[in-house]
Amino acid sequence: MTSSVRPSAKGYVLRRSVFFLLTNLTTLIALGLLVSVFQSNGFSPMELLLLLLYTILIGWICMSFWTALMGFFTILFGRDRWAISRQPAAPLDPAVPPPRTAVLMPIYNEDSERVFAGLRAIHRSLAETSRLADFDFFILSDTRDPDVWVEEELRWQDMVRALDGKGRIFYRNRPENTDRKSGNLEDFCTRWGGWYRYMIVLDADSIMKGSTLTDMVRLMECHPKVALIQTPPVPVNRESLFARILQFAGSIYGRMFTAGLNYWQLGESNYWGHNAIIRVRPFLEHCGLPKLPGREPFGGAILSHDFVEAALLRRAGWEVWLAYDLEGSYEEIPPTLIDYAKRDRRWCQGNLQHLRLALAHGFNALSRLHFSMGVMSYLASPLWLLFLLATGVEAFIQTRQETIYFFGENWIPVWPVSFAVEMTTVLLVTLTMLFLPKLLALLLLLKDSRLRHGYGGMFAATLSVVLETVFSVLTAPVLMLFQTKFVLAILLRRAVGWPTQQRGDHMTSFKEAALAHGGHTLTGVVAGVLSYQYVPAFFWWFTPVLLGLLLSIPVSMLSSSIALGRKSRELGLFLTPEETDLPPVLRYLDENLRESEPVLPVLWDKPASRFVQALTDPYVNALHLSLLPESEPPGKRRRHYLEGLIHQLEEEGPDSLSAAQKRELISDSDTLLRLHALFWSRPPANAGMLP
Amino acid sequence: MDRTQVNTAMPYLAPPSAAPSHGMVLGRLSAYWRALGVSDPDQIAALSEQALRRGMPDRPESPDPLTGALAAARDLLDDWLARTLDLPRQPQALAAARAALLGGAVPDWPAVLFAPPDAARDVSGALRAAVAEPAPAPAPGTMPAQRIELFSLLDPLRHWRRSVSSPSEKTPS
Repeated sequence: MTSSVRPSAKGYVLRRSVFFLLTNLTTLIALGLLVSVFQSNGFSPMELLLLLLYTILIGWICMSFWTALMGFFTILFGRDRWAISRQPAAPLDPAVPPPRTAVLMPIYNEDSERVFAGLRAIHRSLAETSRLADFDFFILSDTRDPDVWVEEELRWQDMVRALDGKGRIFYRNRPENTDRKSGNLEDFCTRWGGWYRYMIVLDADSIMKGSTLTDMVRLMECHPKVALIQTPPVPVNRESLFARILQFAGSIYGRMFTAGLNYWQLGESNYWGHNAIIRVRPFLEHCGLPKLPGREPFGGAILSHDFVEAALLRRAGWEVWLAYDLEGSYEEIPPTLIDYAKRDRRWCQGNLQHLRLALAHGFNALSRLHFSMGVMSYLASPLWLLFLLATGVEAFIQTRQETIYFFGENWIPVWPVSFAVEMTTVLLVTLTMLFLPKLLALLLLLKDSRLRHGYGGMFAATLSVVLETVFSVLTAPVLMLFQTKFVLAILLRRAVGWPTQQRGDHMTSFKEAALAHGGHTLTGVVAGVLSYQYVPAFFWWFTPVLLGLLLSIPVSMLSSSIALGRKSRELGLFLTPEETDLPPVLRYLDENLRESEPVLPVLWDKPASRFVQALTDPYVNALHLSLLPESEPPGKRRRHYLEGLIHQLEEEGPDSLSAAQKRELISDSDTLLRLHALFWSRPPANAGMLP
Repeated sequence: MDRTQVNTAMPYLAPPSAAPSHGMVLGRLSAYWRALGVSDPDQIAALSEQALRRGMPDRPESPDPLTGALAAARDLLDDWLARTLDLPRQPQALAAARAALLGGAVPDWPAVLFAPPDAARDVSGALRAAVAEPAPAPAPGTMPAQRIELFSLLDPLRHWRRSVSSPSEKTPS
C-alpha cells in the first residue's frame, strides 16, 4: 500500500509539467511530420491553414490521450496516493455533532414519477447507513408546466407520508425561474443555506448510493480547505442500443479518463453541475454569478454555471477535487442520437460563453484551461469540418498540378518525391492517439477479475469495444455536423432555447430521423459525388465520414431501438458492471418505478389533467394552495387579466388556455379558491368531460 | 375524504342562465360535503344549512349565491380548523390544515366536527402532525454577485494610458 500524503506545491508542478511536456511534445512531433510533407515546395496559404487547424486538433487529441494514459497507469499501479480519498485527514472531534447536509434536486418540467422514485431510492440507501438524520432533502422545482407542477406536489406529499419525512423532505416551486438552475440553487442558498454546512447537488436523473453521500461528507469534514468534491457519475439504466453503447463507453473508458484528470488537476479540478458536494459558506461568499455584459448569446446570464463556480472557488483560494475513486454515483444519459444532440445544443451556448471567461482577469491558469476545454469540446467539430474541407481542396489542387519530369536540357527524369510514408505516419499517429485509450481500457480488465466479469468477460468486452469503435466512427460525422450547426447558430447570435430533456427510452420514428438527418444524408451524397468526381484518391480516405453521413437516418433509428438494446444485452454486449450486478440503490429505483403503490389515493389514478384536478379536487386544491408562496394581492389590471382567463376557462375549457395561462390561474390563491367554488357550483351534466 | 364523490365537480360548463333554485343549491352543497368526506345525511343537511346562512353573495370570490354558499362551506371547515389548531386566518395555513384533514389525518372527522370541543382537542395533535411543511424556517444568507473583469483588447491601451498619465491626473487611492 502506498503511503498517503498531501500533495505539495512541487507535486502539483511536477505532475503538470510532465503532462504538458508530453502533450506539447507529441503535438510538436505530429506537427513536424506534417510540416515535412508540406515544406518541400514552400507553404501555400491552404497548407498553412491546414497546419494551423491540425495543430489545434492534434493538441486537443494529445491532451485527451495523455490524460487517458495517466489514468491507465494510475489504475494499473493502484490508487493515486494524492487522491482526495487517500490524503491524511484532520482529526474529527467525536464530541462535535455531525454537520447538516442538504441533498438538492433541482428540477424543471421533469417526469415526476422518475424524479421521486430516484429520490426515494437515494433516501432508502441513505437510511441503510444510519446517517439519514444528518441529511435533509430539497426538491427545488423550476417547473413551469402546470400539470407537472401539481403532480410534483402530490408526489412530494406522497414521499413525505410514505417515509415519515415531515421536516426533512422539502419542496418548493419558484414563482419565476430567474437564471435557471444557478438561480434555483442561489434561491436555496440565500433562503435556507444558513442551516447547512454542505449541499449535495443532484440532477433530475442522478442516483447516488447512501454510503457515497456519507463518504463525501466525511471527506469534506476531513479537508477543511476543500470547497467542492465532484464524483464521476457513471451512466446507467438506459435500454436503447444507442444509450447502452454510450453507457459502456462511459463506464469502461470513463474511469480511466477521470483517474487521469485527477492525476494532473489535483485540487484544481472542475465542477460538472451535479453529483457533487459543496461547502455552503464559500459557495455563498464567492459563487454569486454576475451577468456578463452584452447581449445573448455571449452576454447576459451565465448558462453553464458549474465551470464558473469552480473557477470562482479556486480564485478565492479553495480547493476543488474530483474524487475519481468514489463509486456509487450514477446518472442517466439521453436515449437516442437526436436527444443526445438536443442536449448538446443546450450545453453548447453555455460552453461557448466561456470563451470570454477564459481570458478574464483573476482566474488561475487551470480554470482558464477548464474554460478552454469546455469551448473546445464544441469548437472541435467546426474545426474538424474545416480541416476536412481544406484537405479536400488541397487534394484537389494537387491533382490539378501537372508533374514535370524533365527540367531544361536534362535528359534524366526527376521523379516526384513521394510523401506517402510521412502522410501515413501522420495518420497513424492521429489514429493511435484516438484509439489506443480504448485498447488500454481493455488491458486494465486483465488486471481485475471482478471488473472483467462486470463487462461480460474479456471476449465480450473486446467485441463490445470493437463494435463501439465502429459505432463512434459512424456517429462522429453526424455529431460533427450537429455541433457545427449549433456553434454557427450561436455565433450568428441565434440564442438556443432551454428545452426540457426527453429522458425516458423511446424509439426514433422515420419522420423524426429524416427531419433531423436529412441534411446530413444530403451532405454525404454531395460530398461523396464531388470527391469521387474531382479527387478520387481523397474519396477513399473520406469514406468513413461519408458512410456515417449516408447511414445517419438508419443508424439513428436502429440505435434508438430498445429491442436491439435488450438483444445486445442478452448477447452479453456492451455490458457494464452496473448491469451485470445491479447495485442496491439502482434496484430500489427499479422497484419504486415498477411496484411502488402511492400512499396518496389521489395518485392511484392518472387523470387527464392535474391542472383541472387542482381546481376541482378539494384535497389537491387545498394542498396546492398551501404550497403557494405568500404574495401581495394582485393589482387591478392583473385582476382583470385573471378574470378574463377565468371566463375563457368557463366558456372554452382548459384546452383553450396555454400552459403559461393555466399556471397563472393556479398561482393566485384567490383565483384558485374562486375556481374551486365555481366548478362545484355547476351541475354534473356532462360526465364525459370529467377529468 | 370520499374520493368517489370528487368527480361530481363539473369543470368548464357554461354558467347557468337562471338564478339557482334553493333545491339546486342544497344539491350542490350536499355533493360538495360528500366529496369532502361527510356521508351522514343529517350532518350534510346541518352543515349545508349553516353554509347557506353564512353565504354572502357580495363576497369578492362568489359572484352568485351558489358559489357563495360553497365558499361559505369551505369557510365553515376553515373556522373549525383554525379553532382546533389555533391557526391565523391566512389562506395558506388554512389550506395546509384542510389538506391534512382531507388527506386522512383524522379518520371520520365529521364525527369530531359534531362532537363536543374536547374531542377536537384530541385530534389536534394528529392533524398538526399531518400538516405539510414544504420548507424549513428561513436561514437566509447573502450571495453577492462576484466581479468578473472580462478581457478587452483595449486593456493594454488603458494600461499604457495609466502609465503615461502624470501623477497629478491620477486618482488618489
